[in-house]
Amino acid sequence: MTLDNLTSQNGEWLSGSGPQQDIVISSRVRLARNVASYPFMSKANRLQRTELHRLVRENLLQAPSTGAGRTVFYVDMEKTDEIDRQLLVERHLISKQHAAGEGARGVAISNDEALAVMVNEEDHLRMQILRSGLQLREAWQEADKLDDLLQQHLDFAFSQRFGFLTACPTNVGTGLRVSVMLHLPALKLTGDIEKVFRAAKDMHLAVRGLYGEGTEAIGDFYQVSNQTTLGRSEEEILAEFNDVIIPRIIQAELAARQILENERPLALDDRIGRAIGVLKYARLLSSEETLYFLSHLRLGVVMKRVTGLDLPTINSLFLQTQPAHLQRLLGKQLEGDARKSARAEFVRNKVGKNNL
Amino acid sequence: MHLCERCNKPATVHLTEISGGKPHEVHLCDACAQEAGYIQQSHVPINELLNQFLKSHAQMPDVQTQRCPDCGLTWQEFKDTGLLGCGRDYDLFEKQLQGVIERAQHGGTHHTGKTSASSAPGAAPAAEDPVKLRQAEIKRLKKELDIAVKEESYETAARIRDQIKSMEGPS
Repeated sequence: MTLDNLTSQNGEWLSGSGPQQDIVISSRVRLARNVASYPFMSKANRLQRTELHRLVRENLLQAPSTGAGRTVFYVDMEKTDEIDRQLLVERHLISKQHAAGEGARGVAISNDEALAVMVNEEDHLRMQILRSGLQLREAWQEADKLDDLLQQHLDFAFSQRFGFLTACPTNVGTGLRVSVMLHLPALKLTGDIEKVFRAAKDMHLAVRGLYGEGTEAIGDFYQVSNQTTLGRSEEEILAEFNDVIIPRIIQAELAARQILENERPLALDDRIGRAIGVLKYARLLSSEETLYFLSHLRLGVVMKRVTGLDLPTINSLFLQTQPAHLQRLLGKQLEGDARKSARAEFVRNKVGKNNL
Repeated sequence: MHLCERCNKPATVHLTEISGGKPHEVHLCDACAQEAGYIQQSHVPINELLNQFLKSHAQMPDVQTQRCPDCGLTWQEFKDTGLLGCGRDYDLFEKQLQGVIERAQHGGTHHTGKTSASSAPGAAPAAEDPVKLRQAEIKRLKKELDIAVKEESYETAARIRDQIKSMEGPS
């Protein structure tokens, strides 16, 4: 398995096959862990960093560590060029910080991309399980299992009072960050999205854009995640998310779609039609603009107002029109208008045949 | 009404000085009394007072100059970066961290979730695993080091420290 294969395939999380896939793109569970007896990253010297990198990588590549018959390959960040690091960011397999970082660091990725473990990011290990649709419990079970397996070989920094110790106290305790990626175009169109944000804030949740911290909510994608990691068990955090918060947001989006369909069908079709118009006929497309119109097209597909396109195709378009993916797929580096033109052509070929 | 002896404004400070066994009345306005050193400025802004208080507290050696013996982190460094240097900092700076953590965790103060494999009751270190064994040994030595430092047995402490260093180095 190499990065070349990655570019042309869809990770399981983008397959559009999980529960509630019309609205929930993916569920992610992340665990932060540090190896006891080593300093955290900010205080690790080069030697310790290199040693840690080797130690964790060896353990991750051992067959039993990876769980359920998954094959894992490892990407050494120091030996990876910028465009491929960007590719991994676009696929949500590493963070922006990890791509931009320095020194010995890497990521272990399973072939289906459901599992990704960053080594030497802010913490020694950041284990991620990514699943399509709303599958938080399944994701947690896998992360929990991976954590157990790794603990057979690695002693993680832990205190009775504070739980699993992390470089930043905002992650201490469970080290668990649960995030769900939602596509909420109807709430955006009806203007009710602000209400959802306010409610989320009251519940101490973070709402971010497509690529996490500091990114705008482009393409009507919103990542909702917990902020509290201490004082509540994994089960409590998960239950609240899986059984209360996310179902409520889903309901709100469904209600908004209903309103659009029943009360404003012309305005709805106008949005979708404009999106198709631009995607079909534009000759220069920026990645943000593409996300914006693809979002409306996706709404049209899931509301069955557009024929000739399926969800997996749309989902993969979101990814393949990102800068690193596009350049990787076309096999050349492109800047400015050349890139926008190539993107427009790429989109035209995929969207060209559908009908409103 | 008495006027200030120096500037003829209405006097607000009235004193009786005794010099050479004889009483002598002095009448001054606020400004002149201050200038003459009879009264101290009474309106030191409250925030200035607070700042001084906090400064004197911050300069207390255990807060400002305390440095983690393992990773070298100071509290000031944490305040600048938001990142701790090693697991031991949670113990060392527990008092200062309490408030920070409580705020960041919306009131959460104690872990109630999953426990680590090695902290589980009755958990034995995986004897067959050399990496884990070495880590357990380093952990034990660090505890001994803490005790040695507390007891001020510096020779013992230095010996243990060297031992830990050699174990943490490349294997």
